[in-house]
Amino acid sequence: MIDTLEQNLAALRSRDRDLARRIAEAPSLAGAELPAARAGVPTLIVDGHLLHNRHDPAAEATQWAGAAVARLDADGAETAVVLGFGLGYHVDALARRWSGRVVVVEPDVSLLRTAFAAWDLRAMLARVEVAPTPLADEAVDGWSRATILQHAPSLLRPGTPLRAVEERIAGRCAARSLRLSILVVSPLGGGSYPITGYCARALQSLGHDVHVLDLAPFAAGADALTAFGHTVPVRQAVNEAFGGFLATGIRATVAQLKPDIVLALAQAPLDLRLLEQLGGLGCVRAFWFVEDHRLFPYWKEVAAGYDYFGVIQQGDFLEEANARCAGRALYLPLAADPLVHQPLALTDEGRTEYGSPVGFVGAGYRNRRIAFRPLLDQGLKIWGSDWNQAGHLLSVLQRDGARISTEDSVRIFNATTVNLNLHSSTYVDGVEPRGDFVNPRTFELAACGAFQLVDRRALLPSLFAEGSEVVTFEDAGELRDLVRYWLQQPDARERIATAARVRVLAEHTYTHRMLTLLEGICAREHERFARRPRATTAADVARLEGESPLGQLLGRMPATTPFALDHLVGALREHEGDLDDPEALLLLLHQFDDLYVKEHRA
Amino acid sequence: MSKRKILIVNLTRFGDLLQTGPTIQGLKALHPESEITVVVERNFADVCAGLPGIDRIWPIDMDQLGRLMLVPSTDGLRAAYATMAIEVDRLRAEGFDFALNYSSSRMSAIFMRLIGVADTRGWTATSDGFRVIAHEWSRLFSAACLNRRQAPFNLVDYYKRAAGVSAGPRALRWDIPAPARTAATTFLTTAGWDGQRPLIAFQLGASRAVRRWPVANFVAVGQLLARRIGATIVLCGGKGERAFAEEIVAGLGTGVIDACGRTTIAELGGVLACSDVLLTGDTGPMHMAVAVGTPVVALFFGPALPVDTGPYAEDHVCLHAAVPCAPCDHSITCLEPFCRDRLEPAAVAEAVVARRAGDWNAIERAADQWPGMDWYRTTFDAGGFADVQRLGRRPPRRADLLRSAYRALFLQELDGASVRPSGVPLPADAVLLREFEALAAEGAALAAEVETLATAGDDLDRLEDAAKRLELLDHQMFRRGAMHDALTLMVQVFRFEKESLENVDVSELATATRVFHETLARRAGRLATMLEPEVASAVVFREEESHASVA
Repeated sequence: MIDTLEQNLAALRSRDRDLARRIAEAPSLAGAELPAARAGVPTLIVDGHLLHNRHDPAAEATQWAGAAVARLDADGAETAVVLGFGLGYHVDALARRWSGRVVVVEPDVSLLRTAFAAWDLRAMLARVEVAPTPLADEAVDGWSRATILQHAPSLLRPGTPLRAVEERIAGRCAARSLRLSILVVSPLGGGSYPITGYCARALQSLGHDVHVLDLAPFAAGADALTAFGHTVPVRQAVNEAFGGFLATGIRATVAQLKPDIVLALAQAPLDLRLLEQLGGLGCVRAFWFVEDHRLFPYWKEVAAGYDYFGVIQQGDFLEEANARCAGRALYLPLAADPLVHQPLALTDEGRTEYGSPVGFVGAGYRNRRIAFRPLLDQGLKIWGSDWNQAGHLLSVLQRDGARISTEDSVRIFNATTVNLNLHSSTYVDGVEPRGDFVNPRTFELAACGAFQLVDRRALLPSLFAEGSEVVTFEDAGELRDLVRYWLQQPDARERIATAARVRVLAEHTYTHRMLTLLEGICAREHERFARRPRATTAADVARLEGESPLGQLLGRMPATTPFALDHLVGALREHEGDLDDPEALLLLLHQFDDLYVKEHRA
Repeated sequence: MSKRKILIVNLTRFGDLLQTGPTIQGLKALHPESEITVVVERNFADVCAGLPGIDRIWPIDMDQLGRLMLVPSTDGLRAAYATMAIEVDRLRAEGFDFALNYSSSRMSAIFMRLIGVADTRGWTATSDGFRVIAHEWSRLFSAACLNRRQAPFNLVDYYKRAAGVSAGPRALRWDIPAPARTAATTFLTTAGWDGQRPLIAFQLGASRAVRRWPVANFVAVGQLLARRIGATIVLCGGKGERAFAEEIVAGLGTGVIDACGRTTIAELGGVLACSDVLLTGDTGPMHMAVAVGTPVVALFFGPALPVDTGPYAEDHVCLHAAVPCAPCDHSITCLEPFCRDRLEPAAVAEAVVARRAGDWNAIERAADQWPGMDWYRTTFDAGGFADVQRLGRRPPRRADLLRSAYRALFLQELDGASVRPSGVPLPADAVLLREFEALAAEGAALAAEVETLATAGDDLDRLEDAAKRLELLDHQMFRRGAMHDALTLMVQVFRFEKESLENVDVSELATATRVFHETLARRAGRLATMLEPEVASAVVFREEESHASVA
């Protein structure tokens, strides 16, 4: 028995030393029995739960592998991901019948130890990979064109985390390998409006087909509704009609584009009735509520219409959101777009115009007015609107309180020595003690490589390391001393700001958030997405073309690029330099299509 | 230099192909030993068969290519790709030493880049896929297409000069195959033409609706011709014109033959050859009639301009709607094409009757009787360039004077000819041109500074700074070109010249850029001289209003 375990571990060690060590050190599997099946080989029972049958586990495994191979071939899979090891009979049968890559995921190291001790796995281990536990995202990312195969008895074993692992793998694989069609719906304006663009760009960078329904042009129409009168009945009637008008447009857009996912940003005008209709059109409905649930209770009215509901707060609220929405709520903190928020080399004139020892960009909430007053003698500059009742602070208000564009914000962040970041509060005079979520400014300042003093938030420590990536304060009364201190610490400021930027780039971009959202959606919807008619991709045709010049060109393109001229030429535009013949031929056909064919296709 | 294997690409239009004829004949005369291959859309291969001088016709089946691309599965696009890859390989294997692309499209530019003939003229592409226009006459032609008001030459002359042909026949020519001639005669007699009555052909269609003369006008002219000369009318066009033809037949009743969609292209040539006169818009059949020797009365409105795409042969009549906005640029969608109504049916009928009789005095009189139209007789200038001679007594207009000056300028610049301009001053334009000359000279000085720094190569910051200043100055010049029509054509040519630089190092690029700026300054100066009062005699002209149509 020991010899078999050692032999198998030795075979594993050459490929994964760490896993071999962990299996060797694992305790015995509690409640395990290994009775002999009628066919003579051992079978496995854990706490009364049978993992292989009592008659002929090998024959059962052969049958399982036959069905698995049919599925793998139908999917055109390159990697088979088997969930559950059991004693490995089914894995062995699959490895003998299928020539592609086989990976087994089994989170229970004690179970692996039992299997490794049960029979000689060396031939199988030479051919099959046992995924490391815990499973890292990077490992999943390395599995190309993966099909997940369930070993049902393993998944049904009480207490196994395999279901959650399956969702995670399925979500991650699908989010990375499927080219989804996503419609992003903006609000008419407000703070969540720019996030629409950041999300769209992030989704595009992840390789999906993204369309943005930009509703900002309708904001003027919404403002103009008062022209019809101010009485309550009139207001209600025109608001309802205007909402109906927007709903008609959104529904028509969805009907035309037939996206897999509709992602609406906070304040986007989608009501329950419209959401129900969109569900009827077959798309997954997702919402990113990038607002404080305490200030904006409207979320309760719409949550039931969404299948996925992203929120920036946790705790009881997350649970309530989970209960109220049609599918699942996800914690999705805010982020930064490093293409917008980035370090800038400013000219001397730029530094003079935008810079100051201490600065703040944002609206003049009461808690900020009170907190910033003691900083007037520290070279403070304030940028932004709604500071008209700010008393002495008006002397340092820039541009007469005009709204500051995103581009100018980035310049100011870069030019300011100590950036203030105090979350707004309508309840308290200084730092909001119940404050939990982290505002976009925190991420944006960090992405710019700018030094900031930020008020402590309950969720901040999970996002940035206090002290080494951001400096926090709990009381507005600390601000004056903090500012004076940090103005004298250029090296430490630089170190902290750089660390914050590194953290943002590694974990807190909108691309990270969108990937998390898509993983969450795909974890449950991957089969639905996989079933829909899928456009043939460059990778599909590359396989058909083999080593032909066209095949080689398609092989160099992103695998999910649809095999259609617009998309292929779009992918070519990413490439600079001389065109080779296949590239030029595709451009030629694209031009021909534009001139003569497109009109007939419609 | 002698050319052995010549490739001519003319992929799309029937009329353009006929207009390539004089170039092909001229090339054959210049290089008698050469083999001339014409790449053409398969449907127009028969047209090539009637053009003298072609050794090989290389048809490309673009309909089939289109059908492949409409196949919903990926097989269609793969097959289309394979088709074009094979076509390109076969053309490359021919080893052409000279290529002319007469299709002005980005598609044809990439096609030429793929075929890769070292001496290619017309639209082609850089190795990284950007369009360039090779040869100065091709650039002038493309610039004139974009800036129609100053278009100075007939398209055939651009084609010829781009090919290096200065002689060549002074008329289009197309040889009708004997069976087609017989079939055409049989068709006409079977349809009721007695062979004695005057036969007047009407070409009804045009590639774009804005170029189509209203059906009611054709009916009115037909009635007048029947009354005055007892004409039989034959209606020409494709299947797309059948509905118009039926309306005209209904309007005229008797004495009309509907040939729309009932002849091949070759048989159309036969029908036109049997006709006394063709009444037409600016169409492919207009060139066909010219090429088979049938007199033409051609109607020009919308974007059509007699000097530019009019009949390439002597003694045809062009009637042009005299509206201030003419001609439209091709990019314009006119919402109110009132110019078509300026061509009055009575005047048109008069032109047909007089031209049939060869009575140019009658045409001159008619020109005076209908001043709302410009009447032209096609001709050639002393240098052998096609031209149009205005008929009737009319004061010269600024647009015509400007075009005439541009013609003189480019004959001087590109052909080395010494041509006297019209002699009429345009003082305001001359002042503008002088200012622009100074700006271009400033550009030339700046380009020289860039050249010096690029050659030295030791101060990249200064080089970058100078290049940026030059870029800003160029933008200033482009802007002026867009604002003032006296500058538009030369600035567009300058843009194309700048775009044409490829595969040269920084120093060579800088030198070429300087030369282009110097050339621009010289051209502005020369044009200003032609338009200044001390050179030109004082003739009063009428300022035109600008056009209010909407793009």
